[in-house]
Amino acid sequence: MRVDYRIARPIALAAGFDVEGFTVLLGASGEGKSLLLRAIAGLIPAQGEPFDGLPPQHRAVGYLPQGHALFPHLNAWQNVAFALAGPRRRDEALQWLERVGLAELAERLPAQLSGGQQQRVALARALARKPQLLLLDEPTSALDPVTRDDVLAELIAEVHAAGIPALAVSHDPALAAVADRLVLLHQRRIVQAGTPAEVHAQPASAAVARLLGLRNVFRGKLEGAADAQHLLWLEAGVSLPVRTPLPDGARVDWHIAPEAVVLHDAGAAPADAIEASVELRQSSAHGRYLGLRCGQARLWAGLPSSDAAATVRLSLPPAAIRCWPA
Amino acid sequence: MSRPRLVAGLAAFALLLLAAPFAGLVLATDWRHFGFAHGDGGAVAVSLGLSLVALGLIVALGTPLAWWLARHRVRGQWLIDALLLLALLTPPLAMGLLLATMYGPYGPAGSLLERAGLALTNSAPAFVMAQFYAALPYYVLAARAAFEGVPRELEQIALTLGHSPARCFFRVSLPLAKLGLAAAVALAWVRALGEFGVVLIVAYYPQGIPVKLWTNLQDIGLAAVYPLLWVFFLVALPLPLALGLAVRRRLA
Repeated sequence: MRVDYRIARPIALAAGFDVEGFTVLLGASGEGKSLLLRAIAGLIPAQGEPFDGLPPQHRAVGYLPQGHALFPHLNAWQNVAFALAGPRRRDEALQWLERVGLAELAERLPAQLSGGQQQRVALARALARKPQLLLLDEPTSALDPVTRDDVLAELIAEVHAAGIPALAVSHDPALAAVADRLVLLHQRRIVQAGTPAEVHAQPASAAVARLLGLRNVFRGKLEGAADAQHLLWLEAGVSLPVRTPLPDGARVDWHIAPEAVVLHDAGAAPADAIEASVELRQSSAHGRYLGLRCGQARLWAGLPSSDAAATVRLSLPPAAIRCWPA
Repeated sequence: MSRPRLVAGLAAFALLLLAAPFAGLVLATDWRHFGFAHGDGGAVAVSLGLSLVALGLIVALGTPLAWWLARHRVRGQWLIDALLLLALLTPPLAMGLLLATMYGPYGPAGSLLERAGLALTNSAPAFVMAQFYAALPYYVLAARAAFEGVPRELEQIALTLGHSPARCFFRVSLPLAKLGLAAAVALAWVRALGEFGVVLIVAYYPQGIPVKLWTNLQDIGLAAVYPLLWVFFLVALPLPLALGLAVRRRLA
């Protein structure tokens, strides 16, 4: 489904993109992402397709705001039944709750449900409205960090099962990682769109790289001609050999993946290796990293072996450095 | 004396002062010869009947206004707020005089209405009008606060779920503002029923409880007011007391 909207107030925003399956619109806070969802739902004045000019009650959207907005005076099935009409409302509402696995909690009030359960009730309520488009505002923000991956997987499975295109807005790279399609918003413009794999393989700018949650995005300046080009890393006060098609003197943003940073064994380091001190060691389910201090900059490096001294010597391979014009 | 005990002592003294008049009524009432003065029954009927009419009008006109005020910001909003506060803060006697000026037999609105057959001096409609003006500002301000307490997002969600604005109002806004609105109704009820100053000027007749208490006091003496005073407390206070306590419990 093509979404194309223009908002004039309270901030100016124009965005056009395709929504397929579970699409995540990724952008920093204050970019107007929530505003865009509210515009599509018809809750603020705006022009655009789909649903142009219709009042909110006639737009076939399922809108899940942040915090889920369940009616506190109604229990779970009554919340779902709110979107339904007719004498069989209760039975239908219970079927929707069963689909999201909450049939046993049908009589509970929202205040007696966990964040993830509230979200599923809100999803059941939104689906019961038979929408053509689901709108989710920061669906991961209210989730418990321990269970959020499972709750998220559940949510996406439900969206896929319902077969309705869903647009989620977020600043959470973890949500972006599980999208069918990714749309990136920076400075109130769509700057890139594609599958998460495509976007990760070729981030269009440093802003996109930062939104994706990539570590090691820095500023710098190119010096020298194409065959002997150097990148002046100002924060660290070092000069790195690079190969880019960009001209001499260009200001750039650049990135190197933590896993590409080469840590040298003591005594075996080349003469031009960069010296850095270890600030912290990070071990988690997602890997082991070193937080290094190089001059004013913090560089993250993937830690292959178990040990590292207080200071290390490292190299940044030219082929692993990606530069964008700043 | 330590400071906490000093504060507790002062609090107890203030409570004692608050309780003293009510204790006085209990002690002063002549329970063995408890009897009503001539016309007391009629005053109770007038007060209850006409206050209910006034309350109905206040709710019917005040609720849409309170809702509108809670949900809209317009240029010159301060003028509307000032008007509400002015109506609230005007002393009852002064309000009575203003009403007599406007709606009295020689007033601009009063003379027109009288030609149409509606006399707004010393009549049942005048009594209702006096109570309406006395209680409306209290109702509107309390009801506005009740509606402002309803998260706007819930009303908007109700819209996105396919309900018309009117259905959203009755199924979301009204239930969620219920307690505050009930408190507003109770406040309006007490203000209307107990109104003396405004009523005295524009509707000395038909006599409701407050004016009748005053005439009993003037004609017979203090002892003659106690039975009617008891009735006044019994009809005016149970609803607001219960609601006031319910609101306190909800907040606790």
